[in-house]
Amino acid sequence: MSNPELKLQIKRLMVENLMLQITAEEIADGIPMFGPGGLGLDSVDALQLVVALDKSFGLKISDAEAAKGILQNVNTIAAAIEQKGQAAG
Amino acid sequence: MNPRVILITGANGGLGQAIARSFLQESAENQIWLGIHTRLEQAEKLAKESPDRCRAIALDVTRPDSWKAAVAEILARHQRLDVLVNNAGHHEDALLATMPLDSWRRILALNLDGVFHGCQAVLPTMIAQRQGRIINIASLSALLAPAGQTNYAAAKAGVLALTQSLAKEVARIGITVNAVCPGYVDTATLAMDEMERKRAIERIPMRRFGQPGEVAAAVRFLACGEAGYITGSTLKIDGGIF
Repeated sequence: MSNPELKLQIKRLMVENLMLQITAEEIADGIPMFGPGGLGLDSVDALQLVVALDKSFGLKISDAEAAKGILQNVNTIAAAIEQKGQAAG
Repeated sequence: MNPRVILITGANGGLGQAIARSFLQESAENQIWLGIHTRLEQAEKLAKESPDRCRAIALDVTRPDSWKAAVAEILARHQRLDVLVNNAGHHEDALLATMPLDSWRRILALNLDGVFHGCQAVLPTMIAQRQGRIINIASLSALLAPAGQTNYAAAKAGVLALTQSLAKEVARIGITVNAVCPGYVDTATLAMDEMERKRAIERIPMRRFGQPGEVAAAVRFLACGEAGYITGSTLKIDGGIF
């Protein structure tokens, strides 16, 4: 799977699971998930995202520190999924 | 009514049994899992009565690994879990001045930690479903805090606070979290001699003890579709004591 396709899948998952009022295409790869100037997600959104990423991609985010690194933006999530794939392969 | 998968802890006791029977009667397609630990007879008897819809499962609510195994077994069979009833509980009454530390810890572990572990075990599934019902069985002791129950009252009051806090966390995901506070309910755990029963009944405006089925009906209501806008609530079932 090419990287842009993976990123689009992640964005669709976010829109669907977090009931975002924007389309997947409107989410920039590097836009921050949290904080001002970003998507404005909160801790409950993060919780849902962790569960959805595990269910859809088998990405296990085991602790808050790992979540902080992975859930920065779509790029970091895609990187984590690809890294997991490489480790498994 | 859609068929649902329901896990009830403390399912060997009178209240757990009544809750299980209530869900069995609600829909012929409900799948009931009876979480049991040390005492098995009643739960196994009920499971044998409805073998296609009711199963006993080993569950020590104080141990996260036990929860993990139980939830995994349920998901392996049904791929979903709709309702968790945290009913397992026990009290060891003593005045605080002489209460053994072990007794304090045991009661907190069973009545409060057990609810924490249970919610944590089922939440990933309920979040993924974007749907779920958690009903915590607290106690009137959480509200009245009678003498001799510092451990039990503190644990059950903790359950009420946990219920409210968790309800806020997961409300927008479609998961409701509520508590019921039974008062004096006629079960085997209500070990009282004749004089104690008489005194207790004098304190109850309805002048009778509650029946397990009356608590079970409230639990079933909180789990039903029509109760979808109720979350973080505490429902007292006590014959009017306040």
